[in-house]
Amino acid sequence: METELSLKKNLYMARTSVTTESNKTGSWRFLRPKYEEKTSPCSTACPAGEDIARIEMLITQGAFKEAWETILRENPLPGVCGRVCYHPCEGRCNRREFDTSIAVHTMERFLADTAARNETKPALERLPPKGKRVAIIGSGPAGLSAAWFLNMLGYDSEIFEAMPEAGGLLRWGIPAYRLPATVLSNEVARLESQGVRIRVGEAVTASRFEELKTSYDAVFLGCGYWRNRALNIPGEPGQGVEDGMSFLRQLRQGAKPDVTGVSAVIGGGNTAIDVARSIIRLGGRAVIIYRRRREDMPAFDEEIESALEEGAELRELLAPVQIAAIGSDCILTVQQMKVEGLDRDGRGKIVTAGTSLVEISVQRVFVATGTTAVEAWHEPPPAAEAGDQHNASVHLYLSHCTLQQEQQGTPIIYGGDLTNTDKNVTQAIASGKQAAMALDTLFQSGADAVRERLSACLVGEGPSLSMEIYMNGPRKERKPHIVSYQEINTDYFQFEPRVIQPRLLIEERTSSFDEIELKISANTAMREAGRCFNCGICNNCDNCYLFCPDVCILRGRDMTERHIDYDYCKGCGLCVVECPRNAMTLGEEEKL
Amino acid sequence: MQLDALDKELMCSGHVGCPGCGATIAMRFVLKALGEKTVMVLPACCWSVIAGPFPQSSLKIPVIHTAFETGGATASGVRAALDMKGDKETTVITWAGDGGTFDIGFQALSGAVERNEDFIYACYDNEAYMNTGIQRSSSTPYGAWTTTTTGADWKKLRKKNIVEALVAHRIPYAATANIAFPEDLIRKVKKAKAIKGSKFLHIYASCPTGWRIPSEMSIKIARMAVQTNIFPLYEVENGVNYTINYKPREYLVREYFKLQGRFRHLKDTDLDQIQEMVNEDWALLLRKAGEHA
Repeated sequence: METELSLKKNLYMARTSVTTESNKTGSWRFLRPKYEEKTSPCSTACPAGEDIARIEMLITQGAFKEAWETILRENPLPGVCGRVCYHPCEGRCNRREFDTSIAVHTMERFLADTAARNETKPALERLPPKGKRVAIIGSGPAGLSAAWFLNMLGYDSEIFEAMPEAGGLLRWGIPAYRLPATVLSNEVARLESQGVRIRVGEAVTASRFEELKTSYDAVFLGCGYWRNRALNIPGEPGQGVEDGMSFLRQLRQGAKPDVTGVSAVIGGGNTAIDVARSIIRLGGRAVIIYRRRREDMPAFDEEIESALEEGAELRELLAPVQIAAIGSDCILTVQQMKVEGLDRDGRGKIVTAGTSLVEISVQRVFVATGTTAVEAWHEPPPAAEAGDQHNASVHLYLSHCTLQQEQQGTPIIYGGDLTNTDKNVTQAIASGKQAAMALDTLFQSGADAVRERLSACLVGEGPSLSMEIYMNGPRKERKPHIVSYQEINTDYFQFEPRVIQPRLLIEERTSSFDEIELKISANTAMREAGRCFNCGICNNCDNCYLFCPDVCILRGRDMTERHIDYDYCKGCGLCVVECPRNAMTLGEEEKL
Repeated sequence: MQLDALDKELMCSGHVGCPGCGATIAMRFVLKALGEKTVMVLPACCWSVIAGPFPQSSLKIPVIHTAFETGGATASGVRAALDMKGDKETTVITWAGDGGTFDIGFQALSGAVERNEDFIYACYDNEAYMNTGIQRSSSTPYGAWTTTTTGADWKKLRKKNIVEALVAHRIPYAATANIAFPEDLIRKVKKAKAIKGSKFLHIYASCPTGWRIPSEMSIKIARMAVQTNIFPLYEVENGVNYTINYKPREYLVREYFKLQGRFRHLKDTDLDQIQEMVNEDWALLLRKAGEHA
């Protein structure tokens, strides 16, 4: 006992009593790191402005419902777009420079299919009812999109559809092997369950249009382009000459037209390709005749590739001159063309090559060289040279739609193919969204406010718009800066092959209208989404927290919220450099 | 990154480590792996300062500050005292810089591991005497500028291979680790903690101040040291069983050298020569591990 006491008396052991936390080392700092989410290139490339980086992050986490809802905030038709969209997002994916792009469209389709299979009900924000009603003409992608977003913004809307089923071009213009009817009807059913009203079999005539103007607060025209553009050559119209759009519509109505022998399909757009591939499925042979070259074709490249795989023949640089019926056959006379220099829009300029004409003997000719509006009043007012007008009348020419209001009357807004330069499904959806935003702003703050309000909702540099930003969601905090590949810390990523999309065999494809692309498993989807860099957004990887030499990354209880403790942060910048996805920024410290 | 480690911090903010200090990052990871039941022996090194001036401490575990050359001996004593108290649970770790390990503390270290004392000796290697003003050590790499190898007299001798020196003692566990590879580092610390006897960890810890690099590049450069084979990640059990933990992407060493002010004077011919030295070392390591390039 005594020894112990004496030990204590004689052995002096220095004991610390306080931590170093009394030194506020934040005063050393001259650079200031901060959390700052930025914009991913894919999301600005998406016409619908989908928050793709976040969608992929949620898929990786297995949060399929939340990922699906994130799409629905910007695009009401993921099941459709996951199949028929030409996915420009993948063309701008930063991962392309590393190995290959993320299969964004496959992910989108996976989410839509999963939600449909589980009959998931989305839980989305809806603004309080505004007490205004909007009539929508046409239930194609533009009309459905306008109705969905107007619904979100608190408007009542009613869609008028001339055909017996909703969907417009999606229902009657796109073949079933690209978009099965059940997929579309599932999407339409969900829209209806969320409050979108569709009146099928009600065609809107010019006089009915006038009535709608008086009984609704606004009218949206999204009735599309359905009239086939004629070739204006001898023999058309005539025996054996059919129009492509009507042919596709007949197929979707259940008809099985006889296409034995060889059919010539004139045109280079998606309709021409759809017609050719349908002919093959009905047992016929298809020759696509195009006046330019393959690289000039407006059809999506993957579609052209598939058509050729399935046995369609492509004959380039041939311009139709005349069609003559001989017996039950047709003689299609074409002029050979050649490329000489460039034309105004940068495509090769096509001129006639010599005077020799070529005769092609076929059983029938399908004309699919483009479409126009069915009625003259469907067309938006031509853009006045003065541009927008805001006096007694309002004429607003927006990127995807045209808004017209005569003398304080009912606002009319034109969208979809009627106004879009790029006429495709996702651009139509974008126009419906823009129309909803424009109408809401018009009603709330007047026509003068529309442009400014819309430009505040751009994704990155635009022209894609975000409804989440419009509704003041968390995405509003994102900086418009688009993350480049050089800003990704690729040390945190490994080379991994892109998912291989399972598809039907060629033989299976050419013998039925079954969907070509098959489903992928949840496991595969999560792995594919895990390849995503998640450019510009925080996915809680914790690198900032782990590598902080000064222990000043504070995390919330649920480990999602992160803050920098500026009392101690010395501004070394490690967190910013080690952030794999540029969700942080290092800036100069403000002078005090 | 998900780490199999404590969420609790055993290191405090407010320490006086330089911005971007690799040695503090190494400390955080090691403490997360070891947990609270740890006694740390600190011979003279940067961390003697970072751990705080009396009565402050930046560490929430007991620390014994000790003389430069005594890391191995003091740890042996602490272990013996704990054993006498019947405490087999507490881990004893010596946390020394390269000066206290490669040079001044080598005798005590060699003695302790020769006796196979049950402790971890962790050397955080910043490749010079940084705390006293960047003097060269036997850990300073070939080609480096320091305040004692200036101008044309840059260091023209190789870095001592400390892991091989320890492996020669046939200790149960010796490993290299790097702050840019936290999963690997934490796994190795946990493994060392579970093994009885002497364990040696050689932890690469970049030094923005002494290496003349921007503070935010500290981890990037540490990672490149591994990617270029300059600092391979491997472990050796019982002095014979080699395992290489990371097969690099074969980056060229010049990528690593050109980012650092301390190597700015090197010419292309010097870099070619260094590349050869690195290739040679890597081939030797592969041979020891019984692997092929």
